[in-house]
Amino acid sequence: MTFAETIDRARGENRTLLSEVEAKAALAEAGVPVTATTLAQTREEAAAQAEGIGYPVALKVVSGNVAHKSDVGGVVLGLESHEEVADGYDEIIRSVQAAQPSAIIEGVSVQEMAAPGVEVIVGVTTDPQFGPVMMFGLGGIMVEVLGDVAFRLAPLGEGDARDMIDEIQGRQVLDGVRGQPPVDVGAVEAVLDGVSRFAAEHPEIAELDLNPVIASPEGAIAVDARIVLAEA
Amino acid sequence: MSVPGHPLDRMFNPKTVAIIGDKGPNYMWLRNNQPFKDRGGNLYSVQIDEKEIPGIEELGIENFRALTDIPEPVDYALVAVPRHVSPYVMKDLIEAKVGGAAFFTSGFAETGEELGVSLQAQLTEMAREANFNVVGPNCMGLYLPRVGVRFNPDVPVAEDGRVGFVSQSGTHSIMFSLVMGANGMHLSRCASFGNAIVLDISDYLEYLTEDPETEVIAMYVEGVKDGPRFVRALREAAARKPVVVWKGGQTDAGARATMSHTGSLASPHAVWQGIMRQCGAISTDSLDETVDAVKVLLDAKAATGKRMALMAMTGGQSVSITDAFVGEGFEVGRLSEGSYEELSSFFNIIGGSFQNPLDMAGTVQGKRETLERILGILDADESVDALVMEQSAMFGARQWKDHPERIDDLIDTLAGHIERSAKPFLMVMHPAHEEAFVAEVRLKFAERRIPVFASFERAAAAAARALPRATRA
Repeated sequence: MTFAETIDRARGENRTLLSEVEAKAALAEAGVPVTATTLAQTREEAAAQAEGIGYPVALKVVSGNVAHKSDVGGVVLGLESHEEVADGYDEIIRSVQAAQPSAIIEGVSVQEMAAPGVEVIVGVTTDPQFGPVMMFGLGGIMVEVLGDVAFRLAPLGEGDARDMIDEIQGRQVLDGVRGQPPVDVGAVEAVLDGVSRFAAEHPEIAELDLNPVIASPEGAIAVDARIVLAEA
Repeated sequence: MSVPGHPLDRMFNPKTVAIIGDKGPNYMWLRNNQPFKDRGGNLYSVQIDEKEIPGIEELGIENFRALTDIPEPVDYALVAVPRHVSPYVMKDLIEAKVGGAAFFTSGFAETGEELGVSLQAQLTEMAREANFNVVGPNCMGLYLPRVGVRFNPDVPVAEDGRVGFVSQSGTHSIMFSLVMGANGMHLSRCASFGNAIVLDISDYLEYLTEDPETEVIAMYVEGVKDGPRFVRALREAAARKPVVVWKGGQTDAGARATMSHTGSLASPHAVWQGIMRQCGAISTDSLDETVDAVKVLLDAKAATGKRMALMAMTGGQSVSITDAFVGEGFEVGRLSEGSYEELSSFFNIIGGSFQNPLDMAGTVQGKRETLERILGILDADESVDALVMEQSAMFGARQWKDHPERIDDLIDTLAGHIERSAKPFLMVMHPAHEEAFVAEVRLKFAERRIPVFASFERAAAAAARALPRATRA
């Protein structure tokens, strides 16, 4: 399904929030690196998809009305085999139904696990006065508590992505602290530039979060994605 | 100097000015603009109220009963009529092909009441249709120090203005002009634009970008009507000359509904800061920060390096000046070995120190040659990017009052150093108990383009903001 078709479908269903599977497909189509993510609707499908992706995999519930997946037991990480995936599928369905009986469950997404690295956040929002705005920050506590983030108008110009990264208070975390190797900052810039182009080409996007993007010496890859469409 | 062919050029370079509707007993606007007449400009009044006319003529200003009766083409008009008369005045302004008009008249959309809103809509439609330049309404209009067009009786008339100022607030435009003057800096052109029904911030910004008299642009802005146009104009301006943007007010703070993490973090202030950086503008939050940044831009040489040599007169001050500059991200590190060798040959270390910061009152003791020698050593030191010197009024004022020639001597020494040196030099003079005296002394320093700041913190903050874009050759 192309992004244009996804938008039509979402609008046809009267929703502005795209599923993680839809969001990642759109980003992958736009050349933004995302972890391989597919939608499974039975335990057998989940296990078969995991074989295709390669182990380990993560499973996450796909639902239009579950706000925080992990709070309702909707996320299982680090599954290493066909059996673990099939059982994990059942476990997620059971936990979510128990924790939130009103949940409308579309299925479970089967996801490639990213190699460990530094968590960063890349996002887009729409400023009422200035239009689409890009955000960059370090993930976890830095963004939650300290609001250590940088903004620029989209589309980013030459050097803007690097300036955003350099503006962050916690910038040196990317260079490696406590013996960690430095991450590939160029790959993080590429994610920012790719998202910037994607947002500029699609004014239908009101908000977008890649949270987190895992940055490592080998590259940068979005492991979660959320896209909110503007009201049609 | 002007910007030939620019639509705002006539009103920004007027030869004939009309004041419409000014009244006694003060005749505020006619008096404000008397310097324009004194400097050879044609200053006319337009007033139909017979009671007011004798007072106007007593000021030596010719009055006309209708704008269209004025024999010369009017380049700029200041309108101070009651709001319900303003549409009639607008009709005449358009008919007389005036270059541009500022409406001091208020009581429009800013009142939120129906009559005000509809009068503003009427003025807007008339002006837009005629492609007529309106400043305001609900504003103080233009301040053009070189030709003597003024919006306040205390703002200076000056030939040497180099700073353009654009302001959404009339008060801030006057205050900025006055405080700049008190610091020995003058404006090239200033516009207080109020409700901005026709000309908006980007129009003024575009003119100042082209204006050869304006070397630095500063502005006060609360909100922007056309965001993308403002961003384009600001980028273009900042690419040509330094631009300082003083932002007032937290617009729509936190009120936005959002379904994303990014949206919830995107406070208007944070987004604004990002846009300013992206445009290459210098961002400030207050009048003093704006004046300080402009001072660095005008009178310091540029430096991108962060390594400071700090000179203070006492131990306590050398600690505080270091705290202030380190706090703004500067480095106060070791000087080169060559500098230490030279300094050790004459520096008095009893009650002093020359590590960096330098604690040097005991060594200098008012001797010009010694100060020059220290400045020369620091200037030549390759591990120093910029110099800052403290001379507080605490001790200085008594000495300078007793020996006024010592001020001139110090100023000569510092001005000579700045001319020879490629590195920025800033001076910090805390007024201590001598506010009035320092206000006078500071102007003497300003005359010789020695930038003086009232505290370590203000100097450090201004340096951090503005040193990389400083313009002095």
